[in-house]
Amino acid sequence: MIMDMTTTATTTAVAGHRAGPAPVVSFQQVSKSYGAVRAVDDLNLELHPGETVALLGPNGAGKSSTLDLLLGLRTPDSGTLTLFGTTPQQAIAQGKVGAMLQSGGLMDGVKVRELVRLASDLHPRGYPVDQILATAGITEIGDRLIGKLSGGQEQRVRFALATAGANDLIVLDEPTTGMDVSARQTFWGTMREQVQQGRTVLFATHYLEEADEIADRVIVLHRGRVLADGTAAEIKARAGARRVTFDLDEPIDRTALHGLPFLTALEISGHTVRIQSQNADATVHALYGLGLYPHNLEVSGLGLEQAFIALTTASDATPATAEEAAR
Amino acid sequence: MTTLIKLEIVRALRNKKFLFFSVIYPAALYLLIAGGADDKPLPGMQLNMPLYYMVSMAAFGAMTAVLLGNSERIAKERESGWVRQLRLTALPGRGYVAAKIASAAVVSLPSILLVMIVAAAVKGVRLDAWQWIAIAVGTWLGSFVFAALGVAIGYLATGDAVRPISMLLFFALAFLGGLWMPMTLLPQWVQNISEWLPTHAYAALGAAVEVGTAPHVKDMAILAGYLLIFAGGAAWLYRKDTRKA
Repeated sequence: MIMDMTTTATTTAVAGHRAGPAPVVSFQQVSKSYGAVRAVDDLNLELHPGETVALLGPNGAGKSSTLDLLLGLRTPDSGTLTLFGTTPQQAIAQGKVGAMLQSGGLMDGVKVRELVRLASDLHPRGYPVDQILATAGITEIGDRLIGKLSGGQEQRVRFALATAGANDLIVLDEPTTGMDVSARQTFWGTMREQVQQGRTVLFATHYLEEADEIADRVIVLHRGRVLADGTAAEIKARAGARRVTFDLDEPIDRTALHGLPFLTALEISGHTVRIQSQNADATVHALYGLGLYPHNLEVSGLGLEQAFIALTTASDATPATAEEAAR
Repeated sequence: MTTLIKLEIVRALRNKKFLFFSVIYPAALYLLIAGGADDKPLPGMQLNMPLYYMVSMAAFGAMTAVLLGNSERIAKERESGWVRQLRLTALPGRGYVAAKIASAAVVSLPSILLVMIVAAAVKGVRLDAWQWIAIAVGTWLGSFVFAALGVAIGYLATGDAVRPISMLLFFALAFLGGLWMPMTLLPQWVQNISEWLPTHAYAALGAAVEVGTAPHVKDMAILAGYLLIFAGGAAWLYRKDTRKA
């Protein structure tokens, strides 16, 4: 099952001896520390051609570090990391990767069109400048100076740089930061076209609805490790993603409610009880078994956001290994 | 790579304020120092003040534009993340360094020419045609050494440290190399050090031409050596840089 708590190291193919399409990205036991902080901890990860993958995680989970390693901007302390079966530097030199960095500054003192021409010329298979501008939706600001752009426009220019040539993999670190809702929708519309052309897309995001709507695979990172890996629906199910809400008349017996099976969270305010459960059917059945009579009973699915919080807090509460506890 | 070089040059020309001061001030400084000087040779030298300072100030001005300009701009580009973005393209390390040197060279050439024009027009400096050309070309090519040093400093230092470090290096090199006052006026131990500095070799190129001889091989070798060290170091730092930035 994909959602194994440990990562999927067992399925890692050895380069050169595999049958199916080569993995686009492969991390094998990759670690990276900054001083005492272990940003990426024994990470195993594979991306396959045509996937759209969201990288989720709270701040400091290791998302940006993982992307930096992947793009060859930093070198791992240990482990093997390949892009298209080669080193990140080589894959980039071959024009296989386009990336949009969160911290990616732009050259100032030049016009948008000039910068896009530079990106196109530097790419071994660069697209015509007008086409790049049109795809990124920045044709009308082509003559503007970089320093005079709004935050959202700058993001579009970064996107244009990332898609200036025929890349096989596009890496985006929080691409829609600074965009309003409609700009965000337009952006993902453009991104979907890229996916339809058979590209692999990997993006880190804070907006969970983006991961939910756009990605066909979601990887949750926590403390530099893969905490969960699956479809958005699987992640939600995995996190005990059912919410049960009801009212009780009589004085509420907190201890009895705590004893309900499959319970992962309990919250009582006044007469209203909110429960999160791994198995809502069983929990509700047991609730009636206590002899209680709940009013206004509602069972609903959790959003990815709550699932995500549930996953990471559960992991924080129980140190996974002795090594981690000792830290 | 040529696109980046072109773009860096366009950008340098667009920065009107920087261009204006970089071009104007070496000539102004020349008039200030050598303006009232007579034609008597400097102590221990064949050259008089207007001639000596023409070469020194052309060298000094070119060095200012390329060294201070480059180091600061590069440190800024590293901070903004533009260098990171550039590393995600197929551009080789030497391409970035070459582009930076080229854009600096565009600023330094007019500043060199202006000092020479002012020297000829105001102080009546007269030389043979080949000497004018040799001094201009030599001083211009020599400035590449300091452009490369500027790139290297831009990588070694970050943020607030860049300006003090480059200023310190810049003034020390200019002074010890004899750009501000003739070497013969300085103590012997300073002269011993300065003989091996790039700034001394740099000014000596033009001085040799003014006397009527070809530049010394030793000076050219020293400059070539420094250029290799600075440019190689800059390219190496560029490639390694983003591990920490």
